[in-house]
Amino acid sequence: MAEQDESSMIGYDPLAWLHDSPEAENTKSTAVPESRPAPAGAGGVDEEGDASECEDIAARAVEAAQNVVEPDVPVEWDETEADLTDLALQSAPDQGQSAESSGHIALEPVQSIQTVGELHRRLLDMLDSCNKIDIDASAVSQIDTATLQLLLVLKLTAVKQQKEVSIDFPSEKFMEAADLLGLSEMLSVDRAVAGFF
Amino acid sequence: MTSRIVAVLNQKGGVGKTTTTVNLAHALARMGRKVTVIDFDPQCHLAVALGVVSKQQSGIDEVMLGNADFAGQQIPVRDNLNLIVAGPRLQEIEQLSDSASRRGDLLRKALAQGTGDRDLVLIDCPPSSGILVANALFAAEELLVPMTSDYLALQGLSHLMGTIKKFEAALNKKYRLLIVMSRFIPTRRLSRDVLHTVKKYFPAQILATPIRETASLAECPSFGKTVFEYRPGWRSARDFEALADDFLTGRVM
Ligand SMILES: Nc1ncnc2c1ncn2[C@@H]1O[C@H](COP(=O)(O)OP(=O)(O)OP(=O)(O)O)[C@@H](O)[C@H]1O
Ligand SMILES: [Mg+2]
Repeated sequence: MAEQDESSMIGYDPLAWLHDSPEAENTKSTAVPESRPAPAGAGGVDEEGDASECEDIAARAVEAAQNVVEPDVPVEWDETEADLTDLALQSAPDQGQSAESSGHIALEPVQSIQTVGELHRRLLDMLDSCNKIDIDASAVSQIDTATLQLLLVLKLTAVKQQKEVSIDFPSEKFMEAADLLGLSEMLSVDRAVAGFF
Repeated sequence: MTSRIVAVLNQKGGVGKTTTTVNLAHALARMGRKVTVIDFDPQCHLAVALGVVSKQQSGIDEVMLGNADFAGQQIPVRDNLNLIVAGPRLQEIEQLSDSASRRGDLLRKALAQGTGDRDLVLIDCPPSSGILVANALFAAEELLVPMTSDYLALQGLSHLMGTIKKFEAALNKKYRLLIVMSRFIPTRRLSRDVLHTVKKYFPAQILATPIRETASLAECPSFGKTVFEYRPGWRSARDFEALADDFLTGRVM
C-alpha cells in the first residue's frame, strides 16, 4: 500500500497507516449506522476488552516501563509491584455499591515512590466505593514510573469491573513521562482528547 | 425537525476553516437553506469575517454554560443566515480547571435542546485539539475538513484522523467525513500530488470543487464581507457556489 509513484513529489506518506487498519476501506462518505446501540453515557471505557488482553497489556507495559532508563526516577520496582498486584486482587468486583457514585482525585505536583503508597490506598478505597474515578493530572510536574504503573493497573482493573477511570487534563510532564514509557495509549490519555475517555 | 450539525475542523491553523465556514454558509443561505454558524474560536474570526465586531456580546459560551439558549443567542446576519458569536467566556471554557465545566458534552447537550428551524448548523472550530474541539466532536454528526495541498497538511490530516478515530471508538459513532481542498493552487505540482494522495485514502470523500487561492478571498474578511458581497460573480464566488452545490448533492471527486 505504501507504493509511491516514482515521479511523485511526496516522499514519506504520513497517511499510510490508514490503509493498515481494517476499517479503512469502508470509511465512505455515507454515515454507516452501527448496529450496536450507543451507550447512554457516551465516552465510557470500552467494556469489551477481555481480561486476558488486559493482563497482556499490563505485562507489556510493565516490561516496557522496566526497560526504560530514566534519569530522575527511582528504580525500586519490586515493592510497588507487590502493591499493584494487591490492587488488582483486593478490589474484587462487587456490585453492591450504589450506582452513580463517582470519586475525584487530584494528583500531587510531585508523584514519586514516596507518595505512591498513599495514592494506592486512596485509589483502592475509591475503586471499592465508586463506579467512576476521575483523576486530575493537571498539576503533575514530576511523576515516576511507579505511579504511572499504578494508574495503568487501576485502569485495567476498573475495566474488568466495568467501572470507569478517566485521567483528565494531563500536564505536559505527565504526557512526557507516559509517552516515554509508551503508556499514553494504554492509559488512554492523549493530548488531543485529554479528559474525555 | 433536526438540523445537520457539521463541525468544520482541522487542528492545523490557517487552512481555511473560517473562510470555508463563512462562504459556504452564505452560499447555502443564498440557495434558501436556513443556516446558523457558530463561532467556536475565541479568536472570533468568524464574527469579524461576517462584519460583527462587538467583543462583549455573549454567545455560544453562555449556551454551553447553561445560561442562555441556542435560539436566543442567534444574530441574524444575512438572509437565512444566523450567527452565534463566541462570547467572552469561550476562552475560559477552553482553559477552566474545575472539572465540572471541563466537560466534552456541553455543546452537544446545548444543541440537543433544539436548533429550531435550522437546516444546517456549521461550527467553525479553533486550530487546536483541546476541549472546544472535543465539544464540537461530541456535538456533530458530520465533519468538514478543509485541507491545504502541501506536505505538512498531510501530516496534519494524519493526526486529525487519529483523533477522529478515537472519538468514533469511544462514542460508538461513525462520522460522515468530507474534505474540502482549500487554498488550492492548481498550477503547482505538489498540489496535484497531495490531492492524489488524499484521494487514495479518502475515496468519495473529497468535495468535487477545490477552493482556489485567490486575492479576493484573502481580502474579504477585512471588510466584514463574504465573497458574494465583496466580489460577486468572481472566480472565488463561483468556487463557493459550486462547493455548496457539491455539499448539498454529495458530489465528490
Ligand atoms: N482560498 C483562499 N485564497 C486566499 N486566501 C485564503 C484562502 N483561504 C483562506 N485564506 C486566507 O488565509 C488565512 C487563513 O484562513 P482562515 O482564517 O480561513 O483559516 P482558519 O483555518 O480558519 O485559520 P485558524 O486556524 O486561525 O482558525 C486568512 O487570512 C484567509 O483570508
Ligand atoms: Mg479560523
